[in-house]
Amino acid sequence: MAYLSMGEAHRRITEYLNKFSDAVLYQDVTSLARLFSFSSNSPSLLPVADALNVFQDANRLIKQSDKFSQFGEILAQLLRSLQSYRLGNLVDSYQAFEKFANAFIQEFRNWESAWALEALYVIAYEIRVLAERADRELASNGKSPEKLKGAGSFLMKVFGVLAGKGPKRVGALYVTCQLFKIYFKLGTVHLCRSVIRSIETARIFDFEEFPRRDKVTYMYYTGRLEVFNENFPAADHKLSYAFAHCNPLREENIRMILKYLIPVKLSLGILPKAWILEKYNLLEYSNVVQALKRGDLRLLRHALQEHEHQFLRSGVYLVLEKLELQVYQRLLKKIYIIQKQKDPSKAHQLKLEVIVKALKWLEIDMDLDEVECIMTILIYKNLLKGYFAHKSKVVVLSKQDPFPKLNGKPVNS
Amino acid sequence: MKVRTIWPKSEAMRHVDEMMNQATNTQTLASLDQNSLESRYVVNASQGQTSSYAPSLTGSEAASWNMYRPDNHSVENGSFSNSAYHHVQQTEPSTRTVQDGSNAASLATSSSLGSTNAQPDYSGYNSYSNSADPYSYTSTGYQGYYNGYQQQPNPSYSQPVGAYQNTGAPYQPLSSFQNTGSYAGSASYSSTYYNPGDYQTAGGYTSSGYNHQTSTWNEGNYANYSTHQYSSYPTNTSGAYAAGNAATNSVQYQQHYKQWADYYNQTEVSCAPGTENLTVGNTSTQVSQVCQVPGVSSGYPTTNTQVSSSFTSSWRPESSSSQTPSIQPGATVTGAYDYWKHGTPSFQNQHPTPSFQNQYPTPTPQNQHPTPQNQHPTPSFQNQHPTPVQPHNQKPLESQPSYDNFQEQQKAPCPQDLNLQYPAVQQAPPSYQPPLQAVQLLDTRRVSKVQIQTNPRIASNLPLGLPKVEKDGSNISAATKPAYISVSLPKPSEKALPNDAADSALKAGMFPKSLKNYVERALIQCKDEKQMAACRAIMKEMITKATNDGTLHTRDWDAEPLFTIPNADMVDKSNLQNPTPVSSLPKYKKSPTKRSKSRWEPLPEEKSADKSGSINNYATKYSGWFHANEKDRKPAGESSEGKTDFMNNRVPLVEQKSASKAFQRPLKRQRLAEGNAADNGDVSSDSDKEQSLTAYYSGAITLANTPEERKRRENRSKRFEKGQGNRAEINHFKAKNAGTGNLYSRRASVLVLSKSFEDGGSRAVEDIDWDALTVKGTCQEIEKRYLRLTSAPDPSTVRPEEVLEKALLMVQNSQKNYLYKCDQLKSIRQDLTVQRIRNRLTVKVYETHARFALEVGDLPEYNQCASQLKILYAEGIEGCHMEFSAYNLLCVIMHSNNYRDLLSSMSRLSSEAKKDKAVQHALAVRAAVTSGNYVMFFRLYKTAPNLNTCLMDLYVEKMRFKAVNCMSRSYRPQVPVSYIAQVLGFSSSMAPKEGNDEKDSDRLEDCVDWLKAHGASLVTDSNGEMQLDAKASSSSLYMPEPEDAVAHGDASLAVNDFLTRTST
Repeated sequence: MAYLSMGEAHRRITEYLNKFSDAVLYQDVTSLARLFSFSSNSPSLLPVADALNVFQDANRLIKQSDKFSQFGEILAQLLRSLQSYRLGNLVDSYQAFEKFANAFIQEFRNWESAWALEALYVIAYEIRVLAERADRELASNGKSPEKLKGAGSFLMKVFGVLAGKGPKRVGALYVTCQLFKIYFKLGTVHLCRSVIRSIETARIFDFEEFPRRDKVTYMYYTGRLEVFNENFPAADHKLSYAFAHCNPLREENIRMILKYLIPVKLSLGILPKAWILEKYNLLEYSNVVQALKRGDLRLLRHALQEHEHQFLRSGVYLVLEKLELQVYQRLLKKIYIIQKQKDPSKAHQLKLEVIVKALKWLEIDMDLDEVECIMTILIYKNLLKGYFAHKSKVVVLSKQDPFPKLNGKPVNS
Repeated sequence: MKVRTIWPKSEAMRHVDEMMNQATNTQTLASLDQNSLESRYVVNASQGQTSSYAPSLTGSEAASWNMYRPDNHSVENGSFSNSAYHHVQQTEPSTRTVQDGSNAASLATSSSLGSTNAQPDYSGYNSYSNSADPYSYTSTGYQGYYNGYQQQPNPSYSQPVGAYQNTGAPYQPLSSFQNTGSYAGSASYSSTYYNPGDYQTAGGYTSSGYNHQTSTWNEGNYANYSTHQYSSYPTNTSGAYAAGNAATNSVQYQQHYKQWADYYNQTEVSCAPGTENLTVGNTSTQVSQVCQVPGVSSGYPTTNTQVSSSFTSSWRPESSSSQTPSIQPGATVTGAYDYWKHGTPSFQNQHPTPSFQNQYPTPTPQNQHPTPQNQHPTPSFQNQHPTPVQPHNQKPLESQPSYDNFQEQQKAPCPQDLNLQYPAVQQAPPSYQPPLQAVQLLDTRRVSKVQIQTNPRIASNLPLGLPKVEKDGSNISAATKPAYISVSLPKPSEKALPNDAADSALKAGMFPKSLKNYVERALIQCKDEKQMAACRAIMKEMITKATNDGTLHTRDWDAEPLFTIPNADMVDKSNLQNPTPVSSLPKYKKSPTKRSKSRWEPLPEEKSADKSGSINNYATKYSGWFHANEKDRKPAGESSEGKTDFMNNRVPLVEQKSASKAFQRPLKRQRLAEGNAADNGDVSSDSDKEQSLTAYYSGAITLANTPEERKRRENRSKRFEKGQGNRAEINHFKAKNAGTGNLYSRRASVLVLSKSFEDGGSRAVEDIDWDALTVKGTCQEIEKRYLRLTSAPDPSTVRPEEVLEKALLMVQNSQKNYLYKCDQLKSIRQDLTVQRIRNRLTVKVYETHARFALEVGDLPEYNQCASQLKILYAEGIEGCHMEFSAYNLLCVIMHSNNYRDLLSSMSRLSSEAKKDKAVQHALAVRAAVTSGNYVMFFRLYKTAPNLNTCLMDLYVEKMRFKAVNCMSRSYRPQVPVSYIAQVLGFSSSMAPKEGNDEKDSDRLEDCVDWLKAHGASLVTDSNGEMQLDAKASSSSLYMPEPEDAVAHGDASLAVNDFLTRTST
């Protein structure tokens, strides 16, 4: 860092302070938000941070002028946070930032209009990102990372500030989404419930009134929650909404949505086109889709094994595993079609031996009892229409639509 | 005046810090500012006073220092009176201005005063002493000390200093009282006093501060001195005076001193230091401690001064030996020396009365000045000190408010004091009782006086005519001082007066020689500190008893058999059991706090100081005792510094604890003795609690002996600052801690902890030294019933690790049922826990218990073990990790419908874990369960490794029901029951191989029963084979209510079920 004179440092800090007070005075949210956006590493912030390292007594500057001192706590903490941020001391930076944010919220509460919402968004975002980084710093020092949790409770407070009848309510969904991100990261998704409830039931909120980006994010996270709950139709609805409304240029976001939407759709019997998997780089699903198409149980199992860790982490493993029954169904259908070609009169009777042999070809070693069990389950789950004759070890298929399609309905019922 | 008072407060804070620093400096010379100061100290050390001055680092101080130093020199040179006086006057104005100007300035001035104090004091003293040079010397000496002390506290301190100075004379009496009273009896007293000794060094500092004070305060202090000592002290003073007189007047006294001296000196010294410190730090809160210390210190100086040169010499050794706690010793000792030197020459003959006279004169001048401040600190001091100190403080306080009053009082008291002193000196040697009586008389008189004084103090205005006059007379002092006085006075008066009287009687050095010899003999018996403390406690009791009986002087102590030394635990227990000491301590603290409130605004730092201060006091006390013992053995010639170091080294926590005990006892006595005075004091104390507390804290900080100690205390105090809004509570807490402090044994400390938890809820868990509390078992019994602990574990009922290993083996091989095993394992777990054993044995025990629990399906117990095992494995302790992670997985699968739980536990499995047979099995089970593959499930059920079967058992019923449901939906028309029985694992308990008709029929029966119980419809076909009518069953199946259902939903917990299952 080049040498920075005291005067220059003083000038920079004063300029920064002036920007703040001017932005508040003229309600210029864009430039106000820019002052908070640490993670942008914006060229307007770094010099100020450097100046703060040179000119240590910034608090005096704040106190000197009424213009600044009315925002004393906000500015003092903001500068401190910025300085720590520049020094790479993220824990300190977070702590100061949280104090700053608290002070800002106090001020924000007093502003009638919602002009500063954008700035609040930036704060909500920054505090989360900062908390995550501070936690990483804490964890690397062997301390318990707890800042993200703190950020979560702070954002809950912000949510409370916004959840009202006033014009600020449209900001509530953004904060909710930041909360979702925190909760998912912390693995405390049960905490989402209360926020969701107030978003979906409170009359002050009209979902369509929220900004689109927030709606998409919200739907994405609630859709994921439904996947956890194995409520596939609801998950399908939410994720589809997110998929449909997501900015098509945001391919990374679309990919994230598809990561959950595809398994959900698969479990509902709807297969994606291959180009989607390619376009959004979701090739881990391609073998799964292939297996479903071909009734290739081995391929499905291999695919699951191959990406087991990935699927476990994203939480779709169990969803994909359940596709096995659909694969069985596909396999039986194939046998049925072959039999039908050979002898249409006996096509509806599938002998257990044949099925076992078919599985053997797939290098899946199952004995009669096991396969019989699978058949009963398929019948029980309504993937096969018909019955199993234990005495003759034959699956007797209904003559009408023996392999009912799911058509958007989940397996099991 | 108000401004000044305020400044003192703020300064007090700084002072506290400075005090701390100083303390460290004296000991370690570590503190930054102090470094320079330290150097000065060293220099001063020779002089004594100067060293203490060092603390105040402000530039102004430095300047003032120089100025003062000259003064001091002059004083030393012997040109005390006039020159010194002039200086004093000059300095006074400056100091005043400084105070007015800013706290820092005042501090600086105070510090400078402190440094210079000795000189100014001298000068001031000289003027005072003009009447009587020797006396003046003593007074100066005291003042110097006081000043120094005050300086440490700085703003408040300076005031306290005044008090100290005043107390100086009183202190001596007090010290003597203490010694005679509880001191002799209780080691703790002495220890406390010793601590003060450490403080005394601080006192030395204050003495420099005194100079400032001297200008303004000194006079007041002096006045206070005279008044305090005389008025409130009467009893005390009688005692104290007697001591002083004894020292100076009669050889016997000296002897007494020497013998008791150890105690006295130690106690006194320590007290003095403590008082000094206290005054310096908090004045109000610390006051109690400080008060004592000052009293002691003052006592020292006075004694020294009063005492002839020889006496001083003896004192010095004593004090040094007493170690006047390291800190104090350095400064104080030196200071004392200087004083002595100065004082001794002139003093020798004149000591008792002259000194008083001198003091009186000085007080008057002081009165004009802002003596009140001084007084204030002193009151706090009084509080801290048992009785003796308090009286002293009270006196100083009173005197401070109005010099005139003081003077008057002094006049009145003087006679008394003189009388008392003389009598005490004379009488004391011969018999305790006479002195006591005299004391009582004095006390009564004084009490009345004291009460008056106290009332004024309480009222804030000096109730006494004299005090009022004084206030009026000195506007400055009156305005600021009154409040202070009021605050401080009540406390001292309450506790101090009665106690002082008693103590003075006891301490006055009136013990017969034979008794002293006896005590010495007893102490020589002691092998270690604990014994020493115990021994002292016993002796104290004996002596007090004898005193009460009136047999103290009639008994043939030489013939008295030595008691057996109780072991430390006993002592501890007794201490613990002793409720009174504890309670008394809290009261003590309370009263100081009350005072402080009125005068001082609560300062967080002060709080911390208080805490530390109390601790220090304890430590000092303890050390004092040791020193006392040592003194007997050691010659007086030892350098004070050496002693101080000694003290420092020695003062461990334990010692501090003991000191606290000692504290408590004196307090009790004081209570009893307290009559009207106590009431008065209470009133005043209530109002001022908070302030006094803060002062107390600050004083405590100053008291800190060692850097580590300080750190610890600071941390603690910080915690308190955070958590506690209620200062009174804090005080209680502290008091309790102090009370419990004596305990040596872990149990005691545990009890303390619990107590402290109750009282000071804010105490942080991390503060607890668990290692120190960990029990080491001694029980050799292999079998032990489990009993949930409701108190701290008793080592005699806890088995050590070797025995626990045997016990585990015994349980593993036991043929008894699960209830027995569970009970035994729980007790093993408990023993492991209380001994904090966490190793392979621990893992083994938990694993064993978990397995037993699984075998009988005791899931709650299993879950407990599993969660412990999870932690233990995470700590890297080896065990059957895989086996239990398989169990864990199975548990999640079977009992949690939560996808996320399952996912997370699956994703947490390492790749090597996935290769483990048991884990693979568990994963396969999961797959079977999620897909509903009953065939697979029951196959896995039959091949389950370890105890996986047991966990699967819990899911069997559900799985079977699902399976039959599924079958009845899928099969047409019928399914043979034999097939169902085979597929659904009904054969598992029997021989699984087919062809065995008998067993086949058995399992068939089981299956039929089960199916019937679940509503299946069965038919017999033409071959006589039992078939499940699928279609009919599909609508009739139901899950029956479990027969063994229990209210809490877990049949495995039913005792009868346990008994039947485990016995078969």
